[in-house]
Amino acid sequence: MTVSLRPTVLVSALAALTLSGCASFRAAAPGDPLEPVNRGIHSFNSTFDHYLFRPIAKGYDAVMPTPVKQGVSNVFQNMADVQSFVNSALQGKAAKAGDDLGRVIINTTLGLGGLFDHASAMGIERGNEDFGQTLGHWGIGPGPYLVLPFLGPSSLRDFGGRLLDSQIDPLGYVSPVKASNALQGLRVVDTRVSLFPFDQLLAQAALDRYTFTRSAYLQRRESLVLDGKRPKE
Amino acid sequence: MNLRVRLSRLALSVSSILAWIIASVLATVVLAAPMAPAMAPDEQVRKVSSEVTAILKSDPNILGNPSKLRELIESKLLPNFNFARMTQLAMGRNWARATPEQQAALTREFQTLLVRTYSGALANFRNNTIEIRPLRVQPTDTDVTVRTQVMQPNGQGIPIDYAMEKLPDGRWQAYDVSVGGVSLVTNYRDEFNAVVRDQGVDALIRQLQSRNK
Repeated sequence: MTVSLRPTVLVSALAALTLSGCASFRAAAPGDPLEPVNRGIHSFNSTFDHYLFRPIAKGYDAVMPTPVKQGVSNVFQNMADVQSFVNSALQGKAAKAGDDLGRVIINTTLGLGGLFDHASAMGIERGNEDFGQTLGHWGIGPGPYLVLPFLGPSSLRDFGGRLLDSQIDPLGYVSPVKASNALQGLRVVDTRVSLFPFDQLLAQAALDRYTFTRSAYLQRRESLVLDGKRPKE
Repeated sequence: MNLRVRLSRLALSVSSILAWIIASVLATVVLAAPMAPAMAPDEQVRKVSSEVTAILKSDPNILGNPSKLRELIESKLLPNFNFARMTQLAMGRNWARATPEQQAALTREFQTLLVRTYSGALANFRNNTIEIRPLRVQPTDTDVTVRTQVMQPNGQGIPIDYAMEKLPDGRWQAYDVSVGGVSLVTNYRDEFNAVVRDQGVDALIRQLQSRNK
């Protein structure tokens, strides 16, 4: 699913960048020069989520037995741990890289190919690193805030990181392509299910979902780049 | 010396001893109250979260009962938050531009919004456990950050940090909460700023009111 989307994503991001020159409705918020375009994509994404994506994820959540869902989540998380290992290493975080590698080894062997997350039970924490954070670690700022079609909030830096991450994504190497796409679709649904608890929270808390999401995304990413050591204001 | 004089001397000394005792007791009470060892901020967070967790466990129906839930939040949680300061920080430089009536309305509506959001969050995250990181507090500290970790059933932890300030009576109150590095105050400052910039303070109050209906 995401594979076939990638060229579209790239094109629209480029279009957004070029359009920004002429779009000036009012003083832009700092860090978001593309706000008018981003808002358009945001409302498209909300509609898509409301009528298609969320109902599909709800259906999956209702139909699948919990152990199956948990196993699916764990397998995808195990792959994310591989990605985290690469990025921890690229940032020179030896302890974190060691934990990530340990998690992958334990969960792939004892956890039967990642179906079970024994490493968490043993108290080995997830590194949760990605290429966007690696770029941030080496001093690259987030750049303009972006809302990607279907994929949601991002930034120029994190979008670049996403493209790099997809190069080491094991699902990208599954053949045939149909199977690869099906698995990537399943992964997207799995991620969506994990966000259910936040739907109601966002609806309740935000005056304007666009501004609220943007602020939360940018703060969250900064915090991840700094590994939670956020400087106090 | 006659008996009358002796008795009156005795009475004098008894009354002076009594006066001394009363005075010292009063002094102890008056002086000791502010000097009583106040609870450390991390201890206070631990106490409040374990009390709330215990109540939710013993009476799970409370989540479906809005009035009981509000009562729980008002009695256990509200005293631990400084909503006036939160509102002021979220308003940023626009705070000074609001009239005292507007400031009061903003504080009231913002508090309602946060309490409602919190009730919703309690329902969604009730199966999680909370770990509180130990904190080294100096007696002179008046502003600390208490770090906690909410463990989800899937093993993923969400860091939740409370920025707390010391009140004159030694208690601590939170004036900001960060979830996964996302500060509530900063998030609302961006939202409030956008509304005030484009439509003014009264529009912000109206938006908060309609959200709280």
